[in-house]
Amino acid sequence: MSEAIVVENLVKKYGDFEAVKGVSFKVKQGEIFAFLGPNGAGKTTTVHVLTTLLRPTAGRAVVAGHDVVEEPMEVRKRIGIVFQDPSLDRELTAWENMYIHGRIYGLKGNELREKMERLLKFVELWEFKDKPVKTFSGGMQRRLEIARSLLHEPEVLFLDEPTIGLDPQTRAHIWDYIRAMKEEHNMTIFLTTHYMDEAEMLADRIAIIDHGKIIAEGTAEELKKLVGNDVIYLKLEAPEELKCLQGEFIRGCKVLPDGRVALEVENAAEALPGLFELANERGIRILEVTYHRPTLNDVFLHLTGREIRDESPENPMASFVRMRMRRR
Amino acid sequence: MMEALTTMAYRQLKRFIRARSRVLGMVINPLIWLVFFGLGWSRVFDNPMAKMIFGGVDYLTFLAPGIFAMTVFNMSFIAGVSVIWDKQFGFLKEVLVAPASRKGSILGRIIGDSLVTLAQGAIILVLTYPLAESLKLSGFLPALGVGFLLSMAFSGFGVSLALKMESMEGFQMVMMVLMLPLTFLSGAIYPIDTMPGWMKALAYINPLTYAVDGARHFLVGASVAKFSLGVDLGVLTVLAALLVGLAMTEFERATIG
Repeated sequence: MSEAIVVENLVKKYGDFEAVKGVSFKVKQGEIFAFLGPNGAGKTTTVHVLTTLLRPTAGRAVVAGHDVVEEPMEVRKRIGIVFQDPSLDRELTAWENMYIHGRIYGLKGNELREKMERLLKFVELWEFKDKPVKTFSGGMQRRLEIARSLLHEPEVLFLDEPTIGLDPQTRAHIWDYIRAMKEEHNMTIFLTTHYMDEAEMLADRIAIIDHGKIIAEGTAEELKKLVGNDVIYLKLEAPEELKCLQGEFIRGCKVLPDGRVALEVENAAEALPGLFELANERGIRILEVTYHRPTLNDVFLHLTGREIRDESPENPMASFVRMRMRRR
Repeated sequence: MMEALTTMAYRQLKRFIRARSRVLGMVINPLIWLVFFGLGWSRVFDNPMAKMIFGGVDYLTFLAPGIFAMTVFNMSFIAGVSVIWDKQFGFLKEVLVAPASRKGSILGRIIGDSLVTLAQGAIILVLTYPLAESLKLSGFLPALGVGFLLSMAFSGFGVSLALKMESMEGFQMVMMVLMLPLTFLSGAIYPIDTMPGWMKALAYINPLTYAVDGARHFLVGASVAKFSLGVDLGVLTVLAALLVGLAMTEFERATIG
Protein backbone atom coordinates (compact mmCIF):
# COMPACT_ATOMS: atom_id res chain seq x y z
CA MET A 1 0.00 0.00 0.00
CA SER A 2 1.74 3.14 -1.14
CA GLU A 3 -1.19 5.52 -0.83
CA ALA A 4 -2.19 6.53 2.67
CA ILE A 5 -5.18 8.61 1.59
CA VAL A 6 -7.23 8.36 -1.59
CA VAL A 7 -10.10 10.78 -2.07
CA GLU A 8 -12.39 10.71 -5.09
CA ASN A 9 -14.96 13.38 -5.88
CA LEU A 10 -15.73 14.07 -2.26
CA VAL A 11 -18.81 16.24 -1.70
CA LYS A 12 -20.18 17.47 1.61
CA LYS A 13 -23.34 19.53 1.80
CA TYR A 14 -24.94 21.18 4.80
CA GLY A 15 -28.51 21.58 3.64
CA ASP A 16 -28.23 23.63 0.47
CA PHE A 17 -24.74 24.78 1.25
CA GLU A 18 -21.96 22.86 -0.44
CA ALA A 19 -18.89 23.08 1.80
CA VAL A 20 -16.82 20.63 -0.23
CA LYS A 21 -17.60 20.53 -3.94
CA GLY A 22 -16.03 17.38 -5.26
CA VAL A 23 -12.38 17.17 -4.32
CA SER A 24 -10.01 14.39 -5.41
CA PHE A 25 -6.44 13.83 -4.29
CA LYS A 26 -4.00 11.19 -3.14
CA VAL A 27 -1.50 11.28 -0.32
CA LYS A 28 1.47 8.94 -0.47
CA GLN A 29 2.66 7.03 2.53
CA GLY A 30 5.25 8.90 4.56
CA GLU A 31 4.42 12.20 2.95
CA ILE A 32 3.40 15.51 4.52
CA PHE A 33 0.49 16.78 2.47
CA ALA A 34 -0.94 20.22 3.12
CA PHE A 35 -4.36 21.63 2.39
CA LEU A 36 -3.73 25.34 2.00
CA GLY A 37 -6.64 27.73 1.78
CA PRO A 38 -8.45 30.59 3.45
CA ASN A 39 -10.78 30.11 6.39
CA GLY A 40 -14.01 28.52 5.26
CA ALA A 41 -12.50 26.90 2.17
CA GLY A 42 -13.68 23.45 3.26
CA LYS A 43 -10.47 22.26 4.91
CA THR A 44 -11.89 21.29 8.27
CA THR A 45 -14.96 19.71 6.70
CA THR A 46 -12.67 17.53 4.59
CA VAL A 47 -10.68 16.53 7.67
CA HIS A 48 -13.87 15.65 9.52
CA VAL A 49 -14.99 13.43 6.66
CA LEU A 50 -11.59 11.75 6.44
CA THR A 51 -11.56 11.12 10.18
CA THR A 52 -15.07 9.53 10.07
CA LEU A 53 -16.72 12.31 12.05
CA LEU A 54 -18.91 13.44 9.17
CA ARG A 55 -20.53 11.35 6.46
CA PRO A 56 -19.77 12.57 2.97
CA THR A 57 -22.75 13.54 0.81
CA ALA A 58 -21.11 11.90 -2.20
CA GLY A 59 -17.77 10.53 -3.27
CA ARG A 60 -15.34 8.15 -1.67
CA ALA A 61 -12.46 8.40 0.76
CA VAL A 62 -10.03 5.67 1.72
CA VAL A 63 -7.73 6.33 4.66
CA ALA A 64 -5.00 3.90 5.73
CA GLY A 65 -6.48 1.30 3.42
CA HIS A 66 -10.07 1.48 4.66
CA ASP A 67 -13.16 3.27 3.43
CA VAL A 68 -14.27 5.96 5.86
CA VAL A 69 -17.97 5.17 5.41
CA GLU A 70 -17.81 1.38 5.14
CA GLU A 71 -15.23 0.71 7.84
CA PRO A 72 -15.03 3.72 10.15
CA MET A 73 -13.72 1.62 13.06
CA GLU A 74 -10.78 0.35 11.02
CA VAL A 75 -9.97 3.91 9.96
CA ARG A 76 -10.25 5.22 13.53
CA LYS A 77 -7.75 2.64 14.78
CA ARG A 78 -5.15 3.83 12.29
CA ILE A 79 -5.44 7.60 12.50
CA GLY A 80 -4.55 10.32 14.94
CA ILE A 81 -5.93 13.82 14.88
CA VAL A 82 -5.25 17.21 16.36
CA PHE A 83 -8.43 19.20 15.90
CA GLN A 84 -8.48 22.87 15.05
CA ASP A 85 -10.37 23.67 18.26
CA PRO A 86 -9.11 22.33 21.58
CA SER A 87 -10.43 18.88 22.48
CA LEU A 88 -8.85 18.29 25.88
CA ASP A 89 -10.65 17.78 29.15
CA ARG A 90 -9.69 21.03 30.83
CA GLU A 91 -10.60 19.86 34.32
CA LEU A 92 -8.16 16.97 34.18
CA THR A 93 -4.36 16.94 34.23
CA ALA A 94 -2.10 16.38 31.23
CA TRP A 95 -1.36 12.91 32.55
CA GLU A 96 -5.03 12.03 32.94
CA ASN A 97 -5.86 13.28 29.45
CA MET A 98 -3.10 11.10 28.04
CA TYR A 99 -4.15 8.14 30.17
CA ILE A 100 -7.80 8.32 29.08
CA HIS A 101 -6.75 8.53 25.45
CA GLY A 102 -4.45 5.54 25.81
CA ARG A 103 -7.13 3.46 27.48
CA ILE A 104 -9.84 4.13 24.93
CA TYR A 105 -7.35 3.24 22.22
CA GLY A 106 -6.73 -0.09 23.93
CA LEU A 107 -3.35 0.58 25.55
CA LYS A 108 -2.63 -0.26 29.15
CA GLY A 109 -0.14 -1.06 31.87
CA ASN A 110 3.57 -0.40 31.55
CA GLU A 111 3.42 -0.06 27.79
CA LEU A 112 0.99 2.83 28.14
CA ARG A 113 2.93 4.48 30.95
CA GLU A 114 6.21 4.27 29.05
CA LYS A 115 4.69 5.77 25.90
CA MET A 116 3.06 8.54 27.91
CA GLU A 117 6.35 9.41 29.55
CA ARG A 118 8.26 9.39 26.28
CA LEU A 119 5.70 11.59 24.50
CA LEU A 120 5.20 14.03 27.36
CA LYS A 121 8.96 14.47 27.37
CA PHE A 122 9.00 14.79 23.57
CA VAL A 123 6.65 17.79 23.75
CA GLU A 124 8.41 19.08 26.88
CA LEU A 125 5.42 18.82 29.18
CA TRP A 126 6.74 16.15 31.53
CA GLU A 127 7.21 18.55 34.43
CA PHE A 128 3.64 19.82 33.99
CA LYS A 129 2.06 16.40 33.77
CA ASP A 130 0.11 16.73 37.02
CA LYS A 131 -1.20 20.22 36.35
CA PRO A 132 -4.81 20.67 35.19
CA VAL A 133 -5.03 21.49 31.50
CA LYS A 134 -7.03 24.63 32.20
CA THR A 135 -3.88 26.21 33.60
CA PHE A 136 -1.99 25.57 30.32
CA SER A 137 -1.23 28.21 27.70
CA GLY A 138 -2.54 27.74 24.17
CA GLY A 139 0.83 26.45 23.02
CA MET A 140 1.08 23.94 25.86
CA GLN A 141 -2.40 22.64 25.10
CA ARG A 142 -1.46 22.21 21.46
CA ARG A 143 1.68 20.31 22.42
CA LEU A 144 -0.31 18.06 24.70
CA GLU A 145 -2.78 17.38 21.91
CA ILE A 146 0.08 16.49 19.60
CA ALA A 147 1.53 14.11 22.19
CA ARG A 148 -1.89 12.60 22.73
CA SER A 149 -2.49 12.08 19.03
CA LEU A 150 0.78 10.12 18.77
CA LEU A 151 0.11 7.85 21.73
CA HIS A 152 -1.45 5.02 19.74
CA GLU A 153 1.12 5.35 16.93
CA PRO A 154 -1.23 6.22 14.09
CA GLU A 155 -0.37 5.46 10.48
CA VAL A 156 -1.89 8.71 9.32
CA LEU A 157 -1.90 11.86 11.39
CA PHE A 158 -4.32 14.72 10.75
CA LEU A 159 -3.33 18.19 11.92
CA ASP A 160 -6.09 20.73 11.42
CA GLU A 161 -4.54 24.21 11.59
CA PRO A 162 -1.95 23.05 14.13
CA THR A 163 -0.50 26.48 14.84
CA ILE A 164 -3.57 28.70 14.56
CA GLY A 165 -3.55 31.46 17.13
CA LEU A 166 -0.07 30.67 18.45
CA ASP A 167 2.83 33.08 18.77
CA PRO A 168 5.71 32.79 16.25
CA GLN A 169 8.08 31.11 18.66
CA THR A 170 5.59 28.42 19.60
CA ARG A 171 4.73 27.91 15.94
CA ALA A 172 8.36 27.26 15.08
CA HIS A 173 8.51 24.83 17.98
CA ILE A 174 5.52 22.89 16.74
CA TRP A 175 6.97 22.74 13.25
CA ASP A 176 10.03 21.09 14.75
CA TYR A 177 7.85 18.43 16.36
CA ILE A 178 6.02 17.79 13.12
CA ARG A 179 9.28 17.35 11.21
CA ALA A 180 10.63 15.09 13.94
CA MET A 181 7.49 12.94 13.81
CA LYS A 182 7.86 12.46 10.10
CA GLU A 183 11.53 11.61 10.33
CA GLU A 184 11.32 9.29 13.30
CA HIS A 185 8.19 7.39 12.38
CA ASN A 186 7.87 7.87 8.64
CA MET A 187 4.34 8.94 9.42
CA THR A 188 1.92 10.22 6.82
CA ILE A 189 0.73 13.66 7.83
CA PHE A 190 -2.27 15.47 6.45
CA LEU A 191 -2.07 19.11 7.42
CA THR A 192 -4.48 21.95 6.87
CA THR A 193 -3.39 25.53 7.19
CA HIS A 194 -4.09 29.02 6.03
CA TYR A 195 -0.46 30.00 6.71
CA MET A 196 1.57 29.88 3.52
CA ASP A 197 4.86 29.70 5.36
CA GLU A 198 3.61 26.68 7.25
CA ALA A 199 2.64 24.82 4.10
CA GLU A 200 5.90 25.77 2.44
CA MET A 201 8.11 24.84 5.39
CA LEU A 202 6.49 21.51 6.17
CA ALA A 203 4.71 20.01 3.21
CA ASP A 204 6.09 17.74 0.54
CA ARG A 205 3.05 18.50 -1.54
CA ILE A 206 0.39 21.18 -1.29
CA ALA A 207 -3.18 21.35 -2.53
CA ILE A 208 -4.62 24.83 -2.66
CA ILE A 209 -8.29 24.77 -1.79
CA ASP A 210 -10.80 27.56 -2.18
CA HIS A 211 -14.58 27.57 -1.99
CA GLY A 212 -14.64 23.80 -1.53
CA LYS A 213 -12.54 23.03 -4.60
CA ILE A 214 -8.89 22.17 -5.13
CA ILE A 215 -7.62 24.77 -7.54
CA ALA A 216 -3.99 23.66 -7.75
CA GLU A 217 -1.80 20.87 -6.47
CA GLY A 218 1.91 20.15 -6.43
CA THR A 219 5.14 20.88 -4.59
CA ALA A 220 5.70 24.47 -3.49
CA GLU A 221 8.11 24.91 -6.40
CA GLU A 222 5.67 23.50 -8.92
CA LEU A 223 2.93 25.77 -7.64
CA LYS A 224 5.12 28.85 -7.85
CA LYS A 225 5.84 28.03 -11.47
CA LEU A 226 2.14 28.54 -12.11
CA VAL A 227 2.72 32.21 -11.48
CA GLY A 228 6.18 32.13 -12.97
CA ASN A 229 6.65 35.85 -12.68
CA ASP A 230 7.89 38.28 -10.11
CA VAL A 231 5.27 40.62 -8.72
CA ILE A 232 5.70 44.35 -8.24
CA TYR A 233 3.36 46.03 -5.78
CA LEU A 234 2.72 49.71 -6.41
CA LYS A 235 0.93 52.39 -4.51
CA LEU A 236 -0.07 54.95 -7.14
CA GLU A 237 -1.59 58.36 -7.22
CA ALA A 238 -3.75 57.88 -10.26
CA PRO A 239 -7.37 57.62 -11.33
CA GLU A 240 -8.82 54.13 -10.89
CA GLU A 241 -9.03 53.40 -14.63
CA LEU A 242 -5.37 54.27 -15.20
CA LYS A 243 -4.06 52.17 -12.36
CA CYS A 244 -3.50 49.09 -14.46
CA LEU A 245 -0.39 50.12 -16.37
CA GLN A 246 0.06 48.72 -19.85
CA GLY A 247 3.49 47.87 -21.18
CA GLU A 248 5.16 45.15 -23.18
CA PHE A 249 7.08 43.86 -20.15
CA ILE A 250 3.96 43.69 -18.00
CA ARG A 251 2.44 40.22 -18.03
CA GLY A 252 -0.56 40.87 -15.85
CA CYS A 253 -2.13 43.47 -13.66
CA LYS A 254 -4.60 43.44 -10.80
CA VAL A 255 -5.89 46.16 -8.50
CA LEU A 256 -6.01 44.80 -4.96
CA PRO A 257 -8.87 45.57 -2.56
CA ASP A 258 -6.60 47.86 -0.55
CA GLY A 259 -5.98 49.99 -3.65
CA ARG A 260 -2.49 48.76 -4.40
CA VAL A 261 -1.65 47.49 -7.88
CA ALA A 262 0.00 44.12 -8.45
CA LEU A 263 2.00 43.80 -11.67
CA GLU A 264 3.39 40.50 -12.88
CA VAL A 265 6.75 40.82 -14.64
CA GLU A 266 9.43 38.31 -15.53
CA ASN A 267 12.19 40.03 -13.61
CA ALA A 268 11.27 42.77 -11.22
CA ALA A 269 14.77 44.21 -10.82
CA GLU A 270 15.09 44.80 -14.56
CA ALA A 271 11.53 45.97 -15.03
CA LEU A 272 11.58 48.71 -12.41
CA PRO A 273 13.40 51.44 -14.41
CA GLY A 274 11.04 50.89 -17.34
CA LEU A 275 8.13 51.08 -15.01
CA PHE A 276 9.19 54.45 -13.64
CA GLU A 277 9.55 55.77 -17.20
CA LEU A 278 6.12 54.46 -18.09
CA ALA A 279 4.56 56.12 -15.07
CA ASN A 280 6.32 59.37 -15.87
CA GLU A 281 4.97 59.36 -19.43
CA ARG A 282 1.42 58.88 -18.19
CA GLY A 283 1.81 61.46 -15.44
CA ILE A 284 1.22 58.87 -12.73
CA ARG A 285 2.98 59.38 -9.42
CA ILE A 286 4.43 56.28 -7.78
CA LEU A 287 4.16 56.56 -3.98
CA GLU A 288 5.53 53.19 -2.96
CA VAL A 289 7.20 50.23 -4.64
CA THR A 290 7.86 46.76 -3.33
CA TYR A 291 8.52 43.57 -5.23
CA HIS A 292 9.14 39.97 -4.52
CA ARG A 293 9.67 36.57 -6.01
CA PRO A 294 6.52 34.45 -6.21
CA THR A 295 5.21 33.03 -2.98
CA LEU A 296 2.28 30.75 -2.41
CA ASN A 297 0.22 33.83 -1.68
CA ASP A 298 0.88 35.03 -5.21
CA VAL A 299 -0.14 31.66 -6.50
CA PHE A 300 -3.38 31.98 -4.61
CA LEU A 301 -3.83 35.53 -5.79
CA HIS A 302 -3.10 34.48 -9.35
CA LEU A 303 -5.67 31.70 -9.20
CA THR A 304 -8.44 33.44 -7.31
CA GLY A 305 -7.84 37.18 -7.48
CA ARG A 306 -7.88 37.32 -3.69
CA GLU A 307 -5.31 37.13 -0.93
CA ILE A 308 -5.32 33.97 1.10
CA ARG A 309 -6.19 35.67 4.36
CA ASP A 310 -9.09 37.43 2.78
CA GLU A 311 -11.87 37.19 5.31
CA SER A 312 -14.01 40.00 4.04
CA PRO A 313 -17.72 39.82 4.75
CA GLU A 314 -18.48 39.26 1.08
CA ASN A 315 -16.81 35.90 1.40
CA PRO A 316 -19.86 33.75 2.07
CA MET A 317 -17.87 30.73 3.20
CA ALA A 318 -16.08 32.60 5.94
CA SER A 319 -19.23 34.08 7.35
CA PHE A 320 -20.93 30.72 7.10
CA VAL A 321 -18.22 29.12 9.14
CA ARG A 322 -18.32 31.90 11.72
CA MET A 323 -22.04 31.44 11.98
CA ARG A 324 -21.58 27.74 12.57
CA MET A 325 -18.94 28.41 15.19
CA ARG A 326 -21.27 30.69 17.08
CA ARG A 327 -24.08 28.20 16.89
CA ARG A 328 -22.06 25.56 18.64
CA MET B 1 -16.67 -2.15 25.08
CA MET B 2 -15.44 -2.70 28.65
CA GLU B 3 -12.33 -0.57 28.09
CA ALA B 4 -14.38 2.37 26.87
CA LEU B 5 -16.89 1.90 29.67
CA THR B 6 -14.43 1.78 32.53
CA THR B 7 -12.31 4.58 31.06
CA MET B 8 -15.20 6.97 30.73
CA ALA B 9 -16.53 6.09 34.17
CA TYR B 10 -13.00 6.76 35.45
CA ARG B 11 -13.06 10.14 33.75
CA GLN B 12 -16.33 11.18 35.40
CA LEU B 13 -15.06 10.13 38.82
CA LYS B 14 -11.78 11.95 38.26
CA ARG B 15 -13.63 15.08 37.27
CA PHE B 16 -15.71 14.77 40.42
CA ILE B 17 -12.64 14.45 42.61
CA ARG B 18 -11.00 17.37 40.79
CA ALA B 19 -14.03 19.61 41.27
CA ARG B 20 -15.33 18.13 44.49
CA SER B 21 -15.87 21.40 46.31
CA ARG B 22 -18.11 22.59 43.48
CA VAL B 23 -19.96 19.31 43.22
CA LEU B 24 -20.44 19.08 46.96
CA GLY B 25 -21.63 22.67 46.92
CA MET B 26 -24.50 21.47 44.80
CA VAL B 27 -26.01 19.66 47.80
CA ILE B 28 -26.55 23.02 49.45
CA ASN B 29 -29.68 23.58 47.41
CA PRO B 30 -31.51 20.42 48.59
CA LEU B 31 -30.28 21.16 52.09
CA ILE B 32 -32.00 24.53 51.95
CA TRP B 33 -35.20 22.78 50.96
CA LEU B 34 -34.90 20.33 53.76
CA VAL B 35 -34.10 22.81 56.49
CA PHE B 36 -35.94 26.00 55.57
CA PHE B 37 -38.85 24.45 53.77
CA GLY B 38 -39.10 21.18 55.66
CA LEU B 39 -38.34 22.35 59.17
CA GLY B 40 -40.58 25.39 58.72
CA TRP B 41 -43.63 23.42 57.62
CA SER B 42 -42.98 20.59 60.05
CA ARG B 43 -44.09 22.92 62.88
CA VAL B 44 -47.29 23.82 61.05
CA PHE B 45 -48.05 20.15 60.41
CA ASP B 46 -47.26 19.08 63.95
CA ASN B 47 -50.81 17.85 64.69
CA PRO B 48 -52.66 14.50 64.37
CA MET B 49 -54.74 15.68 61.37
CA ALA B 50 -51.70 16.58 59.33
CA LYS B 51 -49.87 13.43 60.31
CA MET B 52 -52.79 11.44 58.92
CA ILE B 53 -52.45 13.24 55.59
CA PHE B 54 -48.76 12.36 55.48
CA GLY B 55 -49.37 8.67 56.15
CA GLY B 56 -48.99 8.83 59.90
CA VAL B 57 -45.51 10.26 60.10
CA ASP B 58 -44.16 13.73 60.83
CA TYR B 59 -43.69 16.05 57.87
CA LEU B 60 -39.88 15.89 57.76
CA THR B 61 -39.98 12.12 57.63
CA PHE B 62 -42.50 12.36 54.81
CA LEU B 63 -40.42 14.96 52.99
CA ALA B 64 -36.94 13.41 53.42
CA PRO B 65 -37.23 10.63 50.79
CA GLY B 66 -38.68 13.24 48.45
CA ILE B 67 -35.73 15.58 48.91
CA PHE B 68 -33.34 12.65 48.43
CA ALA B 69 -35.05 11.68 45.16
CA MET B 70 -35.17 15.33 44.07
CA THR B 71 -31.43 15.68 44.69
CA VAL B 72 -30.60 12.57 42.71
CA PHE B 73 -32.96 13.64 39.92
CA ASN B 74 -31.53 17.16 39.66
CA MET B 75 -27.89 16.15 39.91
CA SER B 76 -28.11 13.24 37.48
CA PHE B 77 -30.02 15.29 34.94
CA ILE B 78 -27.49 18.12 35.14
CA ALA B 79 -24.64 15.59 34.85
CA GLY B 80 -26.20 14.02 31.76
CA VAL B 81 -26.88 17.34 30.10
CA SER B 82 -23.28 18.37 30.78
CA VAL B 83 -22.36 16.39 27.65
CA ILE B 84 -23.13 19.75 26.08
CA TRP B 85 -19.99 21.13 27.73
CA ASP B 86 -17.97 18.36 26.12
CA LYS B 87 -19.47 19.50 22.85
CA GLN B 88 -18.54 23.09 23.68
CA PHE B 89 -15.00 22.37 24.86
CA GLY B 90 -14.34 19.80 22.17
CA PHE B 91 -13.71 16.72 24.28
CA LEU B 92 -16.68 15.06 22.57
CA LYS B 93 -14.73 14.93 19.29
CA GLU B 94 -11.90 13.11 21.03
CA VAL B 95 -14.36 10.42 22.11
CA LEU B 96 -16.20 10.25 18.79
CA VAL B 97 -13.03 9.79 16.75
CA ALA B 98 -11.70 7.01 18.98
CA PRO B 99 -11.89 3.39 17.82
CA ALA B 100 -13.72 2.47 21.01
CA SER B 101 -17.30 1.30 21.38
CA ARG B 102 -19.40 4.44 21.52
CA LYS B 103 -22.15 2.60 23.34
CA GLY B 104 -19.57 1.55 25.91
CA SER B 105 -18.20 5.09 26.22
CA ILE B 106 -21.53 6.70 26.92
CA LEU B 107 -22.70 3.90 29.21
CA GLY B 108 -19.48 4.34 31.17
CA ARG B 109 -20.10 8.02 31.40
CA ILE B 110 -23.67 7.52 32.62
CA ILE B 111 -22.51 4.99 35.22
CA GLY B 112 -19.74 7.33 36.36
CA ASP B 113 -22.18 10.21 36.65
CA SER B 114 -24.60 8.03 38.56
CA LEU B 115 -21.92 7.07 41.06
CA VAL B 116 -21.09 10.74 41.58
CA THR B 117 -24.78 11.52 41.95
CA LEU B 118 -25.15 8.76 44.51
CA ALA B 119 -22.35 10.29 46.55
CA GLN B 120 -24.30 13.54 46.59
CA GLY B 121 -27.53 11.72 47.45
CA ALA B 122 -25.78 9.85 50.26
CA ILE B 123 -24.56 13.11 51.75
CA ILE B 124 -28.09 14.49 51.75
CA LEU B 125 -29.41 11.32 53.41
CA VAL B 126 -26.76 11.43 56.10
CA LEU B 127 -27.63 15.04 56.86
CA THR B 128 -31.33 14.16 56.89
CA TYR B 129 -31.24 11.46 59.57
CA PRO B 130 -30.77 13.81 62.53
CA LEU B 131 -33.68 16.00 61.33
CA ALA B 132 -36.33 13.44 60.48
CA GLU B 133 -37.18 11.44 63.55
CA SER B 134 -38.55 8.19 62.11
CA LEU B 135 -36.31 7.46 59.12
CA LYS B 136 -35.07 3.88 59.04
CA LEU B 137 -31.34 3.45 59.12
CA SER B 138 -31.75 0.09 57.41
CA GLY B 139 -33.29 1.88 54.44
CA PHE B 140 -30.10 3.77 53.62
CA LEU B 141 -28.50 1.33 51.19
CA PRO B 142 -31.71 0.18 49.46
CA ALA B 143 -32.68 3.85 49.02
CA LEU B 144 -29.34 4.44 47.33
CA GLY B 145 -30.27 1.56 45.02
CA VAL B 146 -33.47 3.37 44.07
CA GLY B 147 -31.41 6.50 43.60
CA PHE B 148 -29.05 4.64 41.27
CA LEU B 149 -31.90 3.53 38.99
CA LEU B 150 -33.31 7.06 38.96
CA SER B 151 -29.89 8.50 38.28
CA MET B 152 -29.18 6.15 35.38
CA ALA B 153 -32.54 7.07 33.87
CA PHE B 154 -32.07 10.83 34.07
CA SER B 155 -28.37 10.87 33.16
CA GLY B 156 -29.37 8.93 30.08
CA PHE B 157 -32.19 11.33 29.35
CA GLY B 158 -29.89 14.31 29.86
CA VAL B 159 -27.32 12.86 27.47
CA SER B 160 -29.89 12.31 24.72
CA LEU B 161 -31.22 15.80 25.21
CA ALA B 162 -27.76 17.40 25.14
CA LEU B 163 -26.87 15.58 21.93
CA LYS B 164 -29.96 17.08 20.31
CA MET B 165 -29.47 20.56 21.66
CA GLU B 166 -27.71 23.23 19.64
CA SER B 167 -27.24 25.99 22.17
CA MET B 168 -26.69 26.74 25.81
CA GLU B 169 -29.80 28.93 25.82
CA GLY B 170 -31.93 25.89 25.08
CA PHE B 171 -30.24 24.16 27.98
CA GLN B 172 -31.38 26.83 30.47
CA MET B 173 -34.91 26.64 29.09
CA VAL B 174 -35.18 22.88 29.48
CA MET B 175 -33.89 23.01 33.04
CA MET B 176 -36.48 25.60 33.98
CA VAL B 177 -39.36 23.85 32.29
CA LEU B 178 -38.56 20.35 33.51
CA MET B 179 -36.98 20.37 36.90
CA LEU B 180 -39.33 22.22 39.23
CA PRO B 181 -42.64 20.92 37.81
CA LEU B 182 -41.43 17.32 37.89
CA THR B 183 -40.43 17.81 41.52
CA PHE B 184 -43.80 19.28 42.51
CA LEU B 185 -45.66 16.58 40.60
CA SER B 186 -43.83 13.70 42.22
CA GLY B 187 -45.45 13.54 45.63
CA ALA B 188 -42.14 14.55 47.16
CA ILE B 189 -43.52 17.62 48.92
CA TYR B 190 -47.22 16.83 49.34
CA PRO B 191 -49.17 13.60 48.85
CA ILE B 192 -50.52 12.67 45.44
CA ASP B 193 -53.89 11.57 46.85
CA THR B 194 -54.98 15.11 47.71
CA MET B 195 -54.00 16.57 44.33
CA PRO B 196 -56.68 17.68 41.85
CA GLY B 197 -57.46 15.06 39.23
CA TRP B 198 -55.42 16.55 36.39
CA MET B 199 -52.38 16.93 38.59
CA LYS B 200 -52.77 13.41 39.81
CA ALA B 201 -52.77 12.21 36.21
CA LEU B 202 -49.50 14.07 35.58
CA ALA B 203 -48.02 12.68 38.79
CA TYR B 204 -48.80 9.15 37.65
CA ILE B 205 -46.84 9.56 34.44
CA ASN B 206 -43.99 11.35 36.19
CA PRO B 207 -41.08 8.91 36.64
CA LEU B 208 -39.86 10.80 39.67
CA THR B 209 -43.07 9.80 41.49
CA TYR B 210 -41.95 6.17 41.53
CA ALA B 211 -38.50 7.02 42.80
CA VAL B 212 -39.95 9.10 45.65
CA ASP B 213 -42.34 6.28 46.44
CA GLY B 214 -39.63 3.64 46.27
CA ALA B 215 -37.38 5.65 48.56
CA ARG B 216 -40.30 6.00 51.02
CA HIS B 217 -40.76 2.25 51.05
CA PHE B 218 -37.23 1.76 52.25
CA LEU B 219 -36.68 4.85 54.37
CA VAL B 220 -40.08 5.10 56.08
CA GLY B 221 -42.15 2.01 55.39
CA ALA B 222 -44.81 0.55 53.13
CA SER B 223 -47.58 2.35 55.06
CA VAL B 224 -46.61 5.78 53.70
CA ALA B 225 -46.00 4.53 50.15
CA LYS B 226 -48.64 4.79 47.46
CA PHE B 227 -47.64 1.98 45.13
CA SER B 228 -46.21 -1.44 45.82
CA LEU B 229 -42.44 -1.73 45.89
CA GLY B 230 -42.62 -3.99 42.84
CA VAL B 231 -44.36 -1.29 40.81
CA ASP B 232 -41.87 1.38 41.89
CA LEU B 233 -38.80 -0.69 41.12
CA GLY B 234 -40.33 -2.11 37.94
CA VAL B 235 -41.16 1.32 36.52
CA LEU B 236 -37.73 2.69 37.41
CA THR B 237 -35.87 -0.29 35.97
CA VAL B 238 -37.77 -0.23 32.69
CA LEU B 239 -37.38 3.52 32.46
CA ALA B 240 -33.65 3.42 33.17
CA ALA B 241 -33.17 0.68 30.57
CA LEU B 242 -35.14 2.63 27.97
CA LEU B 243 -33.48 6.00 28.56
CA VAL B 244 -29.96 4.59 28.81
CA GLY B 245 -30.66 2.57 25.66
CA LEU B 246 -31.84 5.72 23.90
CA ALA B 247 -28.70 7.59 24.96
CA MET B 248 -26.53 4.76 23.66
CA THR B 249 -28.33 4.72 20.31
CA GLU B 250 -28.15 8.49 19.99
CA PHE B 251 -24.46 8.52 20.85
CA GLU B 252 -23.71 5.75 18.37
CA ARG B 253 -25.19 7.94 15.62
CA ALA B 254 -23.70 11.22 16.80
CA THR B 255 -21.67 13.28 14.36
CA ILE B 256 -20.21 16.70 14.87
CA GLY B 257 -21.11 20.09 13.45
